[in-house]
Amino acid sequence: MEEIEQSLITDEHRASIGVKGEPIQVTVKEADAHRMRDLLGDTDPRYADGTGIAPPYVISALGSPRRNIPGILPGGLLTQQEWRFTRPFRIGETLNAVSQVIDIRERLGGRYGYSVLITSAIDFHDSDGEHVAAVMTTITQFDPKRARNND
Amino acid sequence: MQRYFEDVKVNDELEPLERIPTADMALDFFGRDNPTNPAFADAEAGKRMGIAGALVPGLLKLAWVTHYVGAWAGSEGTVRNLRVAYRRPDVAGNPLVLAGRVVDLRQEDGRNVVELEVVTLAEGEPSTRATVQVELPSRG
Repeated sequence: MEEIEQSLITDEHRASIGVKGEPIQVTVKEADAHRMRDLLGDTDPRYADGTGIAPPYVISALGSPRRNIPGILPGGLLTQQEWRFTRPFRIGETLNAVSQVIDIRERLGGRYGYSVLITSAIDFHDSDGEHVAAVMTTITQFDPKRARNND
Repeated sequence: MQRYFEDVKVNDELEPLERIPTADMALDFFGRDNPTNPAFADAEAGKRMGIAGALVPGLLKLAWVTHYVGAWAGSEGTVRNLRVAYRRPDVAGNPLVLAGRVVDLRQEDGRNVVELEVVTLAEGEPSTRATVQVELPSRG
């Protein structure tokens, strides 16, 4: 296995930390809420058709507005995540999603040898500017070809 | 069943729940018309990532955790915050058992907050470990 001898995190990557991306509009869609609810077997009456309220996990369907996240290595696995809800999602509402990179760090050792951990955050606000929800995500980027155990 | 703050105690356990993730389920979760990680549906793509088969999406597991705690709380309970560590990848077709217990009870700004630890167990070992905060109503 070829070892990486120097950091792949560049000054450009470091400069992206803390920089907020442009707001991206995402819509809470009834079809997403319905499909996810059915798949999970969620019968909570609050989220039933016609209530206008979406279950919290519909946040998974709000796209991936993390467009300013650098791709340093080709593979990626979700390693940590936090969801925070200020209020329920309303079906049909459009939210402004603003993302930013919180941290970039590297790790030597483990399953993938050398990996880069990128933590990013997305905040969702409604059209009145009120906070609705937030996501914080850490993705471990790695090169599958360098994996120690490719079973 | 509605759960009330006064009826909950630290170390109360949630009834374990088995889920069997499949590649189809992963596609349906995100919607078949939406782009997703190829490793969610293709065991060979998963193997190229060093995983033993098709990868179970972390977001699907987090949605299961959210629903699991929400169902325990009842429809007047509100999941406010989930923090999850994905400790190792799960492979489609392998059963996962959700289990949880209450670790803290407190009042914050007049709200009844219950904190739970929830895990997904694969072959008895935690593959996902979550801390979840849920608000419960009072009986009064």
